[in-house]
Amino acid sequence: MSARRGHHPEGNTVKFKNVAVVGAFALTATIALAGCASSSGDTGSTTKPSASATADAYKIDPSLTGTITAGGSSAQANAEAAWVAAFTSQAKGVTINYDKSQGSGGGVTNWLAGSYDFAGSDSPLNPTQVTSSASTCGADGAINLPVYLDGVAVIYNLPGVKDLKLSSEVIAKIFSLKITTWNDAAIVALNPKAKLPATAITTVTRSDGSGTTTNFTNYLSQSQPSIWTYAPSNAWPVAGSSAQQGGSGVVNTVKAGEGTIGYADHSAIGDLSSAQIQAGTSKDYVAFSAEGASTAFAKAAVATPTAVEGDLSQKLDYTKLTDKSAYPIPLISYQILCKTFKSADQAKLTKAFVGYVASDIGQKIAAKNAGAAPIPAAMLAKIAKSLADVK
Amino acid sequence: MTAISSGAARKSASKGPGPIVNSLTTGQLPKFVEFYVLAGALIVVGGVMLFLGFNLGGWLFLSALVYLIALGVLSAIAENRRRAVDRIVRSLVTIAFLLAIAPLISTLWTVASNGIGQLNWAFISQTGGAVFNPETLKVDITTGALQAIVGTLEITGIAALMSIPIGLLTSIYLVEYARPNQPIARTVTFLVDVMTGIPSIVAGLFAFSLFTLLVGPKAFSGFSASVALSVLMIPIVVRSCEEMLRLVPSDLREASFALGVSRFSTIVKVVLPTAIVGIITGITLAIARVIGETAPIFIAASFTDNFNANPFSGPMQTLPVLAYTGIKFPGQDIAASNASAWGAALLLVILVVILNIIARVIARVFAPKGAR
Amino acid sequence: MTSHPAVRSRTSSVKAPGSTTASGPRSPQGGAGSSRVKSRPADRIFFGLSFGSALLIMVILAAVAIFLIVQAAPAIAANWASNPDLNSGPTGSFATFWNYVAPLIWGTLWVSAIALVLGAPVAIGIALFISHYAPRRITGILGYLIDLLAAVPSIVFGLWGIIVIRPLLLPLTDWLNHNLGFIPIFSGQASTTGSTILAGGVVLAVMILPIISSISREIFLQTPRLHEEAALALGATKWEMIRMAVLPYAKSGVVSAVLLGLGRALGETMAIALIISPSIGFYWNILTEGKNSQTIAANLALNFPISNVLQREALIGTGLMLFVISLAVNFLARWIISRSNADKSGRKKRRPKAIVEAASAANGPALSASDSPVRATGSATTKPEGTPA
Repeated sequence: MSARRGHHPEGNTVKFKNVAVVGAFALTATIALAGCASSSGDTGSTTKPSASATADAYKIDPSLTGTITAGGSSAQANAEAAWVAAFTSQAKGVTINYDKSQGSGGGVTNWLAGSYDFAGSDSPLNPTQVTSSASTCGADGAINLPVYLDGVAVIYNLPGVKDLKLSSEVIAKIFSLKITTWNDAAIVALNPKAKLPATAITTVTRSDGSGTTTNFTNYLSQSQPSIWTYAPSNAWPVAGSSAQQGGSGVVNTVKAGEGTIGYADHSAIGDLSSAQIQAGTSKDYVAFSAEGASTAFAKAAVATPTAVEGDLSQKLDYTKLTDKSAYPIPLISYQILCKTFKSADQAKLTKAFVGYVASDIGQKIAAKNAGAAPIPAAMLAKIAKSLADVK
Repeated sequence: MTAISSGAARKSASKGPGPIVNSLTTGQLPKFVEFYVLAGALIVVGGVMLFLGFNLGGWLFLSALVYLIALGVLSAIAENRRRAVDRIVRSLVTIAFLLAIAPLISTLWTVASNGIGQLNWAFISQTGGAVFNPETLKVDITTGALQAIVGTLEITGIAALMSIPIGLLTSIYLVEYARPNQPIARTVTFLVDVMTGIPSIVAGLFAFSLFTLLVGPKAFSGFSASVALSVLMIPIVVRSCEEMLRLVPSDLREASFALGVSRFSTIVKVVLPTAIVGIITGITLAIARVIGETAPIFIAASFTDNFNANPFSGPMQTLPVLAYTGIKFPGQDIAASNASAWGAALLLVILVVILNIIARVIARVFAPKGAR
Repeated sequence: MTSHPAVRSRTSSVKAPGSTTASGPRSPQGGAGSSRVKSRPADRIFFGLSFGSALLIMVILAAVAIFLIVQAAPAIAANWASNPDLNSGPTGSFATFWNYVAPLIWGTLWVSAIALVLGAPVAIGIALFISHYAPRRITGILGYLIDLLAAVPSIVFGLWGIIVIRPLLLPLTDWLNHNLGFIPIFSGQASTTGSTILAGGVVLAVMILPIISSISREIFLQTPRLHEEAALALGATKWEMIRMAVLPYAKSGVVSAVLLGLGRALGETMAIALIISPSIGFYWNILTEGKNSQTIAANLALNFPISNVLQREALIGTGLMLFVISLAVNFLARWIISRSNADKSGRKKRRPKAIVEAASAANGPALSASDSPVRATGSATTKPEGTPA
């Protein structure tokens, strides 16, 4: 199997030196490139104050320096990216790293371990976590601040059908696999003018645990307890659906299939059609809109604070969403931080950022860049008050 | 060469002097019979499928089946069974190769076609960033992969620097120094076997916990990720190098010892160069395996979009992480995030190809002259 | 690539050490334990480094194992039914840790088995093709092409699986389910999105192909040329030569390569998580959406972010089980190798017996083989000659 054999003189040592020189050069070049690139910050921006900013615009101290490490919910990820860009363009000495791969649970777990300055989470701390937070934050405890508002969209892909109307009963039946074809009588009753084919329904759900699943199953179990008999949870409870990884997995699979239906954060669905949801038992069907989500928050969010003063945990009472001004399936995401930081500078820095996020302008930025709905002003005022106590 | 079937040879031989029989080719099928049979099979099956419903995959599969059977039968009749088996095996092996080329082309095509649009100098040399416009409150995202490229090179480079010496030296110990039944050799072999099965996320957790113990809670760093990757690389390096070293014929070693060369010199100057091509293959496999990991990076080096060239402090981003987050957590402009992800994936493939080439050059430099 | 052992072209690279010819007879240095008259510092340092590396690996692995056991113990010991952290979310419907991990172990083995069955024969075929069948001039390029498959990161394989393989296998899925649905693995409700174990298995097979193939190729190339040429000279066809000279020589190496590929398959996370729609249970089906047994690694990756501390520890416990699985599989394979090598002495002598037997047996029938022209006249009515031993 060997190739032709010739006899060559030895020359290994010279060649080795050449290789070593080339290798050293390459290594030096890489380091030099790295050095060059890091010294040129890329986030150029205008710094002149804008005349269109409102009178109570949040003031960022441009002399702030330091690093904020955070992570958690991916629902807020796009909003976080926008907030970080806006904040660091005005406070150039600040670096903010938000890890969106950890999910709400991972964010809280890492924050409890002390690795994060704040956690992004689609649900507030549960009682066990509140107990653990005593060792992370000390006796003062932690506060949950609702800073991001969105909705859960029911997406579908049915050629020829554009404005699908669904009620909570039909949704519950479809996702618990009790309705299996698109031309089922229940769906036709809600959509008399649509041309519904006899295709089988393929439900597309999440295979990884997710805050979106928690919100969606909360809605289903509160609105239709007799049909949806599963407890709300972050893991999809019904076997037999097509489970995909990540919200983008659900969106891509719904898009690629025919007769597919799924659920995802509204800000992540791109150009897929989202069903109009019946508001309670009224005759109104509501499509998603930012105002609809904000109104839903104002109407249905019930404060369920923990024992910590200034905590703003909310619970959604879906029975209050009964007219067309409110989108029936809102989704709230929180930022969770300690009331007392180990370092006063870190407290100042984190407070400044979270305050910016929960300001009027911060909410506008999220709405413009991430498809979020602004949190109502009354809640923003409460958040500002809670933040004032953080030290 | 004339193709004379054995039948014709028989007839002419039994009739007395006739056309001269070419004794070299009697009892053999014609030279390009495989192509003829393949063409025949394709046509016949294609014709049948036109009536039954055409399907590309089905056509290829059935043609291959018909081809194998036809060739085997033809060869068994015209030649003998041993030849028939030989031809069938040759065809099977060729089909296996073609079966591998198809996914290779398909994968590379998918990456290239999706990623090539993103690949320009700006993408490679810029850090991904965002520009905030206070007038319109709009944040414009610019894609860039520089932070990911630097992160990949540093994290994988440090991991390779740690794993390759350890792995190679261990395999040298196992092959050259240890007797097979010594307890240490058996334990190490056993442990390396176990290590091949570590899921990557567990390696990341291990590294993160180690550094939390050493450094404190905010222990995200590129070096931590390198340690996780080393845990994944070392068993591959040890295993493959061990196999390659074992294949070096013992007469080479014995000749070297007979000349009075020390064991160290024998290993470095005789055994290693002989096995160098295989060793480099094993090392390249190991690097290729870990350079594409995402889960341990997330756990040990957290996630960031920012540029960070210091592997010892702070989160770092790598190319596979950029690709993964572009697909799984797209921004508002889903198409742009996906495009950036494919660009990162293409960059990663190109990087590994370059590493491969460098490795082969190194192997050729160190391999003994006159070897393959 | 080794050069031919019979041609000592390598002697030029072995320099007899000039400065140390003096003192005393030099004993042939075989084995670590033999006493030496003199051992040079370079030898000792090198031996120390090698031994130290081996010890370091043991330490690392012990550390990883201890870490896993310490982390997983609380979750394994906890009462899953009553613990509020464990009876909701991804671990909610399982009564104990073992109820949770047993179907995951099954899923891991099942998916890996499918990948191996699909991938290993093809990989070995490719290695044979490149080493023995392909034209000599292009073997380098071909080998490089196959190694290119290893360059593709696993996330790209996952995405390729979603974009290309899932839709591609849908017609096959339907056909198999429709026509061969009575066979248990093809039964069930066929998937419409393609998120099946079949798709995942195919992608996984493509992923482990370069590992098995590269190492097997190197091993096949190392077969002693003498043996190959001896077999050919005795009249063996190419396949017989491979069967007699190459495969026995390469057996244990190929098994090692397959095990490395299996290790990759057992631990593969990203591609499986992206492609397959999982459930936790003991299922045989490979064509459905809802009955795909989940693997340990993918389950870990999917559920780790959302898990609370105890659930994370339960997941780490499943990772520990993965360790045990790979250990068991490796044990099994090494036992198989050692059993088949039982009559061969030492690890450096690989003279397969088959070639010796074949040589003696082939002497007889070879002379009367039907391909000799004299016999061709009567061969129409006689049966084809049997193959030599």
